[in-house]
Amino acid sequence: MATKLDLSRWRVRPHGVGYRRWTILFTGLRLLLRTRFFRLLVAVAWSAGLAIAVLGFVFSQSIASGGWLETLAAHSSARLEAIVIALGGFVSLYPDICVRGIFTLIFWVHSFVGLWFTLIALTVLIPRLITRDRASNALTIYLSRPLTTLDYLLGKLGMILGIILLTWTGPLVFGWLVSMLFATNRDFIVYSIAPLARALAFNGIALVALAAIALGVSALARTARNTTILWIGLWIIAGTMASPPHAPAWIRRASFSHDLGEVRERVLRLDTALSDAATQLPLLNPRFATSLSRAGERSRADDFGGALAGLGVFVIASSLVFTRLLRPE
Amino acid sequence: MTTTPFHRLNAPSSEVSAPSDASRPEDSPLVEIHELGKTFGTQHALRNVNLAIPRGTIGLLGPNGAGKTTLIKCLLNLETPTSGRATVLGVDIRTSNRASRERVGYSPEQDCQIEGMAGCEYVTYCGQLSGMSFRAARQRTHEILDLVGMGQERYRPVDTYSTGMKQRVKLAQALVHDPEIVFLDEPTNGLDPSGREHILSLIGSLWRELGISVIMSSHLLRDIERVCDRVIIIGHGRVLEHDTIAALKGRHRRVVEVAPAGEVDRYVAALAAAGRPATRLSNGRLRVESHSDSVDWLLRLMQAHGLPPAEIVPNPDALHELFIAAVTAHHGHEA
Repeated sequence: MATKLDLSRWRVRPHGVGYRRWTILFTGLRLLLRTRFFRLLVAVAWSAGLAIAVLGFVFSQSIASGGWLETLAAHSSARLEAIVIALGGFVSLYPDICVRGIFTLIFWVHSFVGLWFTLIALTVLIPRLITRDRASNALTIYLSRPLTTLDYLLGKLGMILGIILLTWTGPLVFGWLVSMLFATNRDFIVYSIAPLARALAFNGIALVALAAIALGVSALARTARNTTILWIGLWIIAGTMASPPHAPAWIRRASFSHDLGEVRERVLRLDTALSDAATQLPLLNPRFATSLSRAGERSRADDFGGALAGLGVFVIASSLVFTRLLRPE
Repeated sequence: MTTTPFHRLNAPSSEVSAPSDASRPEDSPLVEIHELGKTFGTQHALRNVNLAIPRGTIGLLGPNGAGKTTLIKCLLNLETPTSGRATVLGVDIRTSNRASRERVGYSPEQDCQIEGMAGCEYVTYCGQLSGMSFRAARQRTHEILDLVGMGQERYRPVDTYSTGMKQRVKLAQALVHDPEIVFLDEPTNGLDPSGREHILSLIGSLWRELGISVIMSSHLLRDIERVCDRVIIIGHGRVLEHDTIAALKGRHRRVVEVAPAGEVDRYVAALAAAGRPATRLSNGRLRVESHSDSVDWLLRLMQAHGLPPAEIVPNPDALHELFIAAVTAHHGHEA
């Protein structure tokens, strides 16, 4: 077999390190999106975003004067029409409490759904982060290129960020934007911004914690199966052990899903939204007001400091694991 | 616009840059190593290695565990040296970690595929990791895969490849970004004879035709002898020999192997009469000591005695014997 060399020499100035990190991120996500399960998961996650948009739309339409709900009620009975008109008036009189409260509730529910989808997506992603690269020696190929361990880790971190954007933050922002497109007045935008900002803040905290834990778990085991078992153990088994109400505080803090739950209650402030509604709205039914107050108390974070400390320990321990095992230069 | 002796891809002229070592003289060493040491716990993998490796095709020889792979890994910063310093293409490997690998390719000994990627995707990805745009990397990937002899298999996932195909794709990823130097660790492992022939011929032509220097580690002395113009022999973490193959062979006792087409006894008699007693080897060949590298005296002897034609191999296994001698001498010295 004769070898004939007829190569075009590549003498173009290479792209910078940012491009190389982006290549790791983009290629990793592209490979992940090839799996049918992951495509399905993303589709379901975005349908949750669509649900936010629909709820926002229904809410704005239901209180708009001359909207479809009022028209529908008018066709039914005079009493129903009066209730709907009263609701609209309520929101017009107390937009801060009603709009903020409703959107806080919507984002609070979505934070459960979004976090759940993210955790499922991470179960698929974690073995592909570092474990497989170590097992198949692909790490050698990365690090023999003009890349450092930090570049490699930043690329992988970008993959986690991409996953959270696809399954949680993206649907959340999409749902809010679409519902605002159909809002009947600017009060909806003004008073839903704060709940959105809080939802995004919780998103950010979860991103930092989950990214560190995911990289640590992925670096710790040498096979995809062991990595998945370790992740599920940390997520589901530790979460189950922390769920009994009288479980010791240290066991509860040893579950990152419990810690994230506590952080969610403090950051999203559903308790404040409910107690504000109970105390400030002129509700005709005192039992309803009492129920709202109790629900607000139940959703208050009991151990926010402990949960933050727990997450901090997770982040530090995971960072030690992946930096030690990958030996940054 | 910088001109190069080679064709280049269709790139805007503003993007074209000179090779990274344009300011370095052509005869400056490719790799310079000063007192490099590497220990793993109490075990010394490399001890005070000093080398100045010129451009060309260089073979790295040594028994298992001698420190060949550790030396390559230290030069690529895949292992952190315990002591000493080194430069690759004039760039210090410790102070300019990322830059020292800009124009370096590496084909490791072990498999290193990324699961789920097709061969051409994998090589393109490696090109992008070296800073190539997707378009340039994809175009060059196909050129390189053609060069290493991969056909339609390039569209199959890498994890389904045979050992030989994995070797080819490893070589392709090492060359895709047009390096100035490639480190090849056992590049012919697992290849069938025709594949080995093809890859060796390709490696040999990298320096001759493209100016890409090669540092090739192999335990197959014949591969090294065939492809390389210099050899570094390593044993117990030390450099035992470093010279051109021609110079090393010059230090070896001259031997000629003759494989006569017939009349072996007449050959033996003629050689004995000329004062050069021959030893019969188990493969039917005759081994004769020679006073020089030239075999003219043997051709004249054959002509004078009307001997039938024969295959003549001057200095067979010279490198092998030299290698054994170097390692044995070092053992004796250590003892």
